[in-house]
Amino acid sequence: MASKSVMTLGVRPLSHSFIGSTPSAIYLGTNSVCVQQVRHRRFPKFVVRPTARRPWHVRKWTEKRDETLDASNEQFVKEVIIDKYANTASSPLKDGPWERHSYLRETRRSGVLALKLGTLLHWKKDGTPFTVTVLQVLDNHVINYVPPEVYATYPSHNPHQGLRFGLQVVGSLSCDPRQFSKPYNNLFLKAGVPPKRWLTRFLVTPDAAIQPGTALDVNHFKVGDYVDTQGRTRDYGFQGVIKRWGMKGMPKSHGTTKSERKMGATGGGGDKDGIWKGKHMPGMMGNYLRTMYGLKICRINTRYNLLYLAGVGVPGLPHTFIRVSDTVLPRKQRTEEQMSQVSMPTSFPEDLVEPLPEEIFTDDVFQFTEPSLQLEAEDS
Amino acid sequence: MAASIAQFCVKFLPKRLQLMHQQTSCWLWRRGRGKITHTHFSSSSSLNQPKQLKHVINYQRTRAEVARALRKKQNFLHHEMVDKHRASPLQSGTEQVSEEKGEGAPREYRYVMPEFLPNPDFQYRDKVLEKMERRDMLRRRAVIDIPEFYVGSIMAVTVSDPYSSGKTNRFVGICIDRGGRGLKAYFVLRNVVDGLGVEVMYEMYNPTVHSIQVLRLEKRLDDQLYYLRNAPLEHSTFSFDMQPVTLPRDVPVPVNTTKVKLNPKPWEYRWERFNLKGIEPLPLTPKMEKGIKEHAKPWEDYDLMLKYRQTVNEDEERSIMAEVYQENTRIDAGRKSSRAVLRRKK
Repeated sequence: MASKSVMTLGVRPLSHSFIGSTPSAIYLGTNSVCVQQVRHRRFPKFVVRPTARRPWHVRKWTEKRDETLDASNEQFVKEVIIDKYANTASSPLKDGPWERHSYLRETRRSGVLALKLGTLLHWKKDGTPFTVTVLQVLDNHVINYVPPEVYATYPSHNPHQGLRFGLQVVGSLSCDPRQFSKPYNNLFLKAGVPPKRWLTRFLVTPDAAIQPGTALDVNHFKVGDYVDTQGRTRDYGFQGVIKRWGMKGMPKSHGTTKSERKMGATGGGGDKDGIWKGKHMPGMMGNYLRTMYGLKICRINTRYNLLYLAGVGVPGLPHTFIRVSDTVLPRKQRTEEQMSQVSMPTSFPEDLVEPLPEEIFTDDVFQFTEPSLQLEAEDS
Repeated sequence: MAASIAQFCVKFLPKRLQLMHQQTSCWLWRRGRGKITHTHFSSSSSLNQPKQLKHVINYQRTRAEVARALRKKQNFLHHEMVDKHRASPLQSGTEQVSEEKGEGAPREYRYVMPEFLPNPDFQYRDKVLEKMERRDMLRRRAVIDIPEFYVGSIMAVTVSDPYSSGKTNRFVGICIDRGGRGLKAYFVLRNVVDGLGVEVMYEMYNPTVHSIQVLRLEKRLDDQLYYLRNAPLEHSTFSFDMQPVTLPRDVPVPVNTTKVKLNPKPWEYRWERFNLKGIEPLPLTPKMEKGIKEHAKPWEDYDLMLKYRQTVNEDEERSIMAEVYQENTRIDAGRKSSRAVLRRKK
């Protein structure tokens, strides 16, 4: 056990210290790190919820209020906020638009930050039922882009990736800036958009970088694409061993007292004695980051910015924030025809020759305006 | 006693200190009571004693810290907060759903189309999703006619069936259950085919359904008729050649008050515990009576919170039903006019 943990510790050196000393070795290939694979790792070893934020995150919320404001001033301040943000949101791009590239196999685009709304029942054209999960892409803006050279100096940078990816920060749901702290509000100065309730970041290749201040909507994806959805699962809090790990408990009668929902033994004897690391025990359950890979977009509503994904398993309750991005599954990548139609780096409203229809379906999904399914009677 | 001496002394203290004393006397009394219980005396003055402080607040924390500690850290937003964001002037690019504020539907309309009412659990509510679902349902209703029906009505359903010779299948039966919300709405028909009870569950918005016809519109005394499984087969036998019975307009839906005599045990469920009105009184053994008594929940009739949680807010229900009613009347008008056109062409 001890030797394994030493090896896993060696996987992540502090990359920025290397780079500061030798600028020629900015590209850290796989030869500079330990890539020894460790087998038989138990997952999760144990779950500890972080009580403190990452040191590089700025403080988000503030309780400070200006007590001198009265009702009339309050109204005036609100108008100023709307004037400042809503009326200038269309022209935050001070420098000209960035150069655009065509989509390649190795390109990785940015994703969007969507709200999970719930599930519905749909049918295919042959009458097969399937469940769709509906996501809404509400009020998304690109907040920042960090080129690969700068990202390589970040503590969160994974040296395996070298200089392949930059960072794209995307925010969702505009808010009143007065409830946020000043350093948090300063994050949005570059993009010229109101501060967002939620921020996330995507790893993108430099040819798919989007200029800060650009609005993202549902047209970033096309019908028929496969996407990965990532979010936090439902928070169950502190749970016992039956709910958390599916243990059996003990019989409810025949002399059992006070141990109907308890675990049994915690370990063996002899060589295998003691409680091993990773033993399933009661504890905090849920609120894990989970990813559902390879869901197909079967329907898009451009008016309300809705994505209909065929399938279930998108983590969390309704109104959970979900990161939606192009899938990484090799079998579900785009075809050559789809690759020519990808909006790179994202869809801009000025690209559209004619306005998009309100609802777009894939070919195999039954639309409710169609007549009922008719089967041809066989002649033989 | 220490407590009485302290009370005596307090009379000579200024008022502010007297108030302070009330908290200290509480401590003194607790010490004194311990002695009394040891000697098995009954304390007559216990009612006059002040209440103990149970929860001690740590005033060393700042207000912000207390607020942060008390805030529930959820990983999802409340649906009202999401609606606020949708309606915010800072939001752009996404349209808002419109609220219906026109002519209201009749009050009993929610019994006619109960599947349009959303899930009352607030965690699963969403205005946009409900609107989109209702729109899809109404689109389907414009294509095929889904009539008004209740549990107890005799219905005929035609669906496309790849295994039958004519590629369609027609089934007639009594509706014994109805449920589901939104596009997941369903109903269950029961009939006897070749001496065997057959039940089929149909999804109302399934594209394989060609037509839904109500042959006899009536209600029964119960919400679910699953007890017909344990009744003689004659109660659930209906002819496939049955002709539809038309009711005159603006007549309330008749209630069929027939009482079914159940077969002797064994039953599928313990029907005596369900408080059924559509069956003849059962011969109860003492064991059955005991079971009824044990499993009865008479307090649920008076549980206002339970009813509140199980029903949608009345204002929302009114606006939803108004929207559905208007759309339905529009669809019906279109059907009638198209029929008139067809007649003229003939």
